[in-house]
Amino acid sequence: MTKNAYNYGIMEKTGKAFADEFFAEENQVVHESNAIVLVLMQSDEIDTIVEEMILKEGKKHNPSITVEDRSGFWWIKADNKIEVDCAEASEMLGKTYSVYDFLVNVSSTIGRAYTIGDKFVITSELMGLDVKLKDI
Amino acid sequence: MALSAATTAATEALKVNRAPTGVNPQEVHRWMQSFNWDFAKNRTKYPTKYHMANDTKEQFKIIAKEYARMEAIKDERQFGTLLDGLSRLGAGNRMHPKWGETMKVASNFLEVGEYNAIAAAAMLWDSATASEQKNGYLAQVMDEIRHTHQCAFINHFYSKHYHDPAGHNDARRTRAIGPLWKGMKRVFADGFISGDAVECSVNLQLVGEACFTNPLIVAVTEWASANGDEITPSVFLSIETDELRHMANGYQTVVSIAHDPASSKYLNTDLNNAFWTQQKYFTPVLGMLFEYGSKYKVEPWVKTWNRWVYEDWGGIWIGRLGKFGVQSPPSLKDAKQDAYWAHHDLFLLAYALWPTGFFRLALPDEEEMQWFEANYPGWYDHYGKILNEWRALGCEDPSSKFIPIQWLEKNGHKVYVDRVSQVPFCPSLAKSTNTLRIHEYNNQLHSFSDDWGERMWLTEPERYECQSVFEQYAGREISEVVVEGHGVRADGKTLIGQPHVRGDKLWTVEDLRAAGCVFSDPLRN
Repeated sequence: MTKNAYNYGIMEKTGKAFADEFFAEENQVVHESNAIVLVLMQSDEIDTIVEEMILKEGKKHNPSITVEDRSGFWWIKADNKIEVDCAEASEMLGKTYSVYDFLVNVSSTIGRAYTIGDKFVITSELMGLDVKLKDI
Repeated sequence: MALSAATTAATEALKVNRAPTGVNPQEVHRWMQSFNWDFAKNRTKYPTKYHMANDTKEQFKIIAKEYARMEAIKDERQFGTLLDGLSRLGAGNRMHPKWGETMKVASNFLEVGEYNAIAAAAMLWDSATASEQKNGYLAQVMDEIRHTHQCAFINHFYSKHYHDPAGHNDARRTRAIGPLWKGMKRVFADGFISGDAVECSVNLQLVGEACFTNPLIVAVTEWASANGDEITPSVFLSIETDELRHMANGYQTVVSIAHDPASSKYLNTDLNNAFWTQQKYFTPVLGMLFEYGSKYKVEPWVKTWNRWVYEDWGGIWIGRLGKFGVQSPPSLKDAKQDAYWAHHDLFLLAYALWPTGFFRLALPDEEEMQWFEANYPGWYDHYGKILNEWRALGCEDPSSKFIPIQWLEKNGHKVYVDRVSQVPFCPSLAKSTNTLRIHEYNNQLHSFSDDWGERMWLTEPERYECQSVFEQYAGREISEVVVEGHGVRADGKTLIGQPHVRGDKLWTVEDLRAAGCVFSDPLRN
């Protein structure tokens, strides 16, 4: 199981073992994380994008990407950044598909998400604080 | 016919400067940046103690045309699914009845939150100074209107298709008597729209939306699917597709104030208060709905909380902002205690007061009790034994004339309501962060359950004056109050709330009257 899996670490534990770690003194404050989480509603287009882009090319660029099927949605966690190029998605799907079509099914983002041209980006960077938000 | 000079001039001009036939929406966004909302003075009705900078962004570069097209596609897909395929499949009546009752609470309460968020986002539009930030808030106003309709539509859909519509069709009429309503209004209304504008943004966007919508609107769909509900995932996941822009709005609000060293004086206190305010209600209520309002369990609620609230929101949002002076909320330790136990505490009280609800509750069966004990060691000896005793006393059967609140009173377990959060608590039975403290102010007694709420009250006592049901109806017989508070079905005699999800043995007003249960105010007795 990779460290970005839905049930990694403490989440694998049950009963008292879970409680011991949950209430451990070191876990009573938040710990900084460079991970990002992307929740995509399952749909015809999204299933193809997950299969063909995120799990193939995306994972080549960022091997930390983990994708899990949580019935109605794909739960995706990775370190640092995920990008989805909707021009590429459009070509693959064989129809017009802009970044705003992609946003129809982006259910949640934990991290900083933005659009740039026809790309959707979610990053652990702090845009506007650490780095300037990119404009087109 | 001869062309007019003006038409000729226009035609000639167009030959030289062709009108664009297709423009990338993001190029339009760049062009629109030359327009702005600058006023000579940014006069606002909703001032803030923070100084909001003028160069913050709307991260998705939404323009009106693409926004409208995008939202129209969402609605076409969602309503198309519900009104066509899912209606034909009879999906509205194929879920486990325990979950059917849970959705009465989830969809009605979320509707109130969305309705108040309309005003909250509009207030922030008025307060912000950066033109792009205003654009983001403006889209959020429209999103929240959409969400209010979506929640209402879930109730409308279930009213038509679910076998027991009572509670979906007009829940709000019971708002005076249901003890869960007032706490919900504290987080969803007061928290979002009262006080300093930026503090409201922290409540709504940075905590409410970036943190608690993930369990409330995303994780809930896993539980829904496991319990046979195909309606909720189609609607709630579509609601959440707008929430990511709202989370970004909250983040940009923080960016807008982070440059100002004076912000550090207030931000950590406001964040801690917002976190405590939101978690104090959502943690027990969501946990209760998921675990006690389902037959098929996805995972223990405390794990859901650990993933979405502690690890992801805490680490990815708050942890990353640490170098800009944002601290881990000091109330986190108490919140974790609540994440483990508060929903069990709340179920005990909600079940004890079931006639005041607009939904039905059911005791966990033997298999579920084993699940609770395996996941929360010590659960059975503390909670399970009491629930089994209530079952043995016949609490589900109208002929028993027994309401569990009578057992609590008889055994000296007084039930109070926390003045700040409006969440009921029983200090002698609670395993969550609950210790009783009472203050007198303006000739009135006020009960509190924790340090964090007590501190908020001590700072602004005039802000928390809402009466509890025990104060409001002290000395009144419970069936009289339930009738007065519209807790009766259309037949004029059967109660909306029931202590089980069976088709028979439904409690009536007469059954409730026979129990002889009278409200008492614990602060005066």
